[in-house]
Parts: sequence; C-alpha cells; structure tokens
Amino acid sequence: MTMPIQRTRKLEPVFWYVLLIVAAIFTVLPFVWLLSTSIKSPNEPIATTPPRFIPLEPTLENYVKVWNYLPIWRYFLNSVFVSVCVVVGTLVITSLAAYPLAKMRFKGRDIIFYSLLATLLVPSELTLIPSYVMMVRTFELKNNFLSLILPNIAGAFDIFLLRQAMRGVPDDLLEAARIDGASEVRIWWQVILPVVRPALATVSIFSLVGAWNAFLWPSLMLTERNMWTLTVGLARLSGLFFSDFRALCAGTVITILPILLFFSIMQRNFVGGLAGAVKG
Amino acid sequence: MSRRFSPTPYLFLAPALVLTALFVFYPFFRVIYLGFTEYDIITDPKWVGLGNFVKMFGEDNFYISLKNSLLYLIVTPIIIVLAVSLALVVNRNLVGISFFRALYYIPVITGSIAVGTMWRWMFASDGLVNSTMLSLGLATEAVDYTYHEWLTLPVCMLLTVWTGVGYYMVVFVAGLQSISNEVYEAALIDGCNNFQKHWYISLPGLRPVITFVAIISSSAAIKVFNEIYVVTGDRGGLLNSAYTMVFYIYKEAFNLSHFGYASAVAIVLLIITLTLSILNLRISERGQEA
Repeated sequence: MTMPIQRTRKLEPVFWYVLLIVAAIFTVLPFVWLLSTSIKSPNEPIATTPPRFIPLEPTLENYVKVWNYLPIWRYFLNSVFVSVCVVVGTLVITSLAAYPLAKMRFKGRDIIFYSLLATLLVPSELTLIPSYVMMVRTFELKNNFLSLILPNIAGAFDIFLLRQAMRGVPDDLLEAARIDGASEVRIWWQVILPVVRPALATVSIFSLVGAWNAFLWPSLMLTERNMWTLTVGLARLSGLFFSDFRALCAGTVITILPILLFFSIMQRNFVGGLAGAVKG
Repeated sequence: MSRRFSPTPYLFLAPALVLTALFVFYPFFRVIYLGFTEYDIITDPKWVGLGNFVKMFGEDNFYISLKNSLLYLIVTPIIIVLAVSLALVVNRNLVGISFFRALYYIPVITGSIAVGTMWRWMFASDGLVNSTMLSLGLATEAVDYTYHEWLTLPVCMLLTVWTGVGYYMVVFVAGLQSISNEVYEAALIDGCNNFQKHWYISLPGLRPVITFVAIISSSAAIKVFNEIYVVTGDRGGLLNSAYTMVFYIYKEAFNLSHFGYASAVAIVLLIITLTLSILNLRISERGQEA
C-alpha cells in the first residue's frame, strides 16, 4: 500500500505543471498569433494550413503603416492623460468621502452610505442616454476630456473599499491627533491615508484599468479624431483596416504594449493589492 | 457622544455626493421619464405614455436581445468553475507559481477591445481557428464565426470567459488565503486526501466569495456590450442574431436617434438587473442559514 502513495506524491507536481502549462498555452496563444501576424509581410498568407507562427520574412512595415496613418502617439498620450486624471481624482474624492463614513458620527450617515451603495445596482450603461444628453447639451463637454473624467471619479465601490479599510484605523490614534489640535483635513491626510495605503493602491489599480479600457462612453464623447483614446482609435482602426489585418494586428500590439509593461513592473503589488481588498 | 452640529463630515462628503447626484441619481430618474416619451434630442421629449413598451413587445430585435442577454448568463457558472479550479492550482506552493499567476492575469489587463479585435480575426473565415480546424480535419470548410446565425454569440461568450477567468481567479486566491491554515492541518492529521480537503474545506470557505463573484459577473454578463461590438464589428451578427440589450439600446439611441424608445428598453433591463441582484442575495442568505 505504501508504494503507490509515494509514487503519486512524486508525480503530483508534474500533474500540476502539466495543468498550468495547458492553461498558459490557452492564455498566450492568441497573443503569439497576434504578434506573428503583425510582422508578416504582405506576400505571406495570414492563414495557412497548418497555421504557421514564425513568419517566413518578418517585417516591421505594418507598424510603419499604422504609425503613419493614425496618430497612435497622440492617442496614447490622450489615454495616459485621462487615466491619470481619473486615478488621482478617484483617490482624492473617494478617500475624502470614506473618512466621515468610517470614523465620524453625524445625522444621515447611514442613509448617505446606503444610498451610495445602492448606486452599484444601477450600471452606467442603463443611464447612458440621459448622461449623454446632459453632457452634450447642458455641459457642452463633448470632445472635452472632462466628460470622461468627471463621471468616473466618485465610484461607490471605491468609497466602500476605503471605508472598510479606514474602520480598521484605531480611534485612539485619531483622538490623540485631535488633542494635539490637528484639523480633520490634516488627520485625513497625515493619519488616515498613510495607514490605508494598500487599499488606496487597490483603488488606483481598479480605476486605472477601468479608465484605460473604457470604450462605449469615450466613443460617444469623443468624435474628433485628435481626441480619441487608444481604445476608441483601435476600434476605429479595425473599421479602417478592415481588409488589412496585418496592420490591424500591429495597431493592437501598440495598444496593449504600454499596459503590459506597466503590469509587468507593478505585477507584485497588483495581485497582492487585490488580495488585500477582498480580505478587507 | 452627542456633539453640536458640525458641517465637517458633510464637507468631506460633498464632492462625492454632488458627482453621484449629477451622474447617477439624476440620469436614473431621467431615464425612467424618457422611457415614456418620444425623444430625438433635438426637439423636446413628447409624452407617449406606454407607447414605447407596446412597440417594444412587437419588435423581433427586442426579443432577440432579451433572449441573448439572458443566455449570456451562462458565462457566470463557467467562469466560476474555471476560476475556482485555477485558483486552487495557483494557490499551491510550486516553483514559479507567481509567474503563472501573473500570466493568467494578462487577458484581464489588455481589455476587451484590444483582445476582441484580435478575437474577431481569429474567428474570421481566414483566421487561426479555421486554419487549425481545417488542418486537423475537424472541419471541411471555413466558417465565418463572427457573422453566423448562432455561433457568433458563443464566440463572444468565449471572449468574456477568456478575459474574465484571470480576474476572478485572483479574487478566489485572496479568498483561499483567508482560510486559516490550522483547519487544513487538522484535516491532514485526520487523514483527508487532497480532493476531500478542497471539497470539505476550500469550497465551503469560499462560499461568500463565490456569491460576490456570482453577483458581479452576472450583472456584467447581462449588460455585455464591448464583446458584441468588437467581435461583430458594430454589425450585431447575421440578421442581428447577436444583439444584446445594451447593444440594442446603443443601436436604437445612437444610430437611429430613438432616444425615448431606447430609454424604455433601458427600463426593462434595469428591472431585470435589480431582480437578478435580489435573487443572488436571497440565494446566498439561504445558503448561509443552511
């Protein structure tokens, strides 16, 4: 009886690695195909039977074509600008709101908290039409980046996450600061925020990914070519290069490269931050 | 602890409340009003009572969208099963496991538009899927999956699953890590095998996280848009066969200027979403009592 058990113990890691590698192939294969198609020359067919992943004559001409045709660099900067504003705005506004909800007693606190939570039940897709009319007609913010920033910096889920984290800050700490004569703003900035830093990291990552990948709303708000973000540009690109798949692949690679780089640098914090969020 | 009135907490809350009122509460009530009007944005809305709803229930596209949006909920159990399994694997202490964990997360951060563009061409008639199937002899002729009677929606779902699993995997890993090690050690002493360990400890321990994921992913599934838009290239599939509710709202409002009618469709979707959330919470409450 002991022999088979020992054998399975030894084989076990092998089994897990096989599983991990199969899942990895499914994850990576489309990207490999994307990259390989983006460097295929026009003479080489995209689809061959069987499929070929290493091009016969690799070329960068597709990248040059996209680069010359569309102001990708401009779109990239637009995306960066909007995303940074959304992240900074979110951090300031949601952490300001979370502080009294977590640590102060005042009239209407529960009503305010629960009505904020209730907004989670109303996804923005459903209120698209009045939001669009208001933005375009009342505020006249079409083709203005404010239209992408303002509606996305007071997320109820972010407020909820930060409130949970702030509840863990010891009251003694706050009382001590108050006795020393610190103002509430100062307590927020110097006592609360440093303690909830992991939660702030999580919130910024969530809002960054959300802002970077947003599509429907930006595509409605940005009609001028120069104002497009990367996602809008890419979706339009797929209309323009409908017949030129190699160029489209090159454009896609350019779009995903920055966020991939960012992720590989931030990778450790990323998964860790999310883990903290769910636990908290 | 009764103190005199202080405006401080309200000042801290003010920016968030103003923005929420402006961009959530106002549009919420406004969309309910607009649903009962005829509205083209240029002229003022005209009250038509239940007219939009009467029209809606006679439209084929409405039924297609409703059916597809409900069908789309299938992705939720698939995502949960795959994400939990993957989480159980990547939560083990193996060499290089953090590399794999990060790898599975890549589709999440690249986003549905970029990935979807790629997806569309993988499933086109001259794409990777067709050439693989043909070379393996699994198909005799190429199929355009992005413009097909009934295959387009499953291709979109596959995209949703593919980009979603990594995200929920991380959520489940976090859930697993909060289960205390002592429980597992006790199980080991009692002679539990690997399967029993997960069946009797990990899964029950993950229950609240599973509810959370079920709510989040099903409410995302019912309002799917990006996948449909990008895979079908704004067309919505052969004879609109891949229309979903949000896609339908988008088409009616922004391509046809039927803003009143589209608002009425949004009201229907709102009711479905709310019902779904309440159902999810009820089921999880019952689960906790048991």
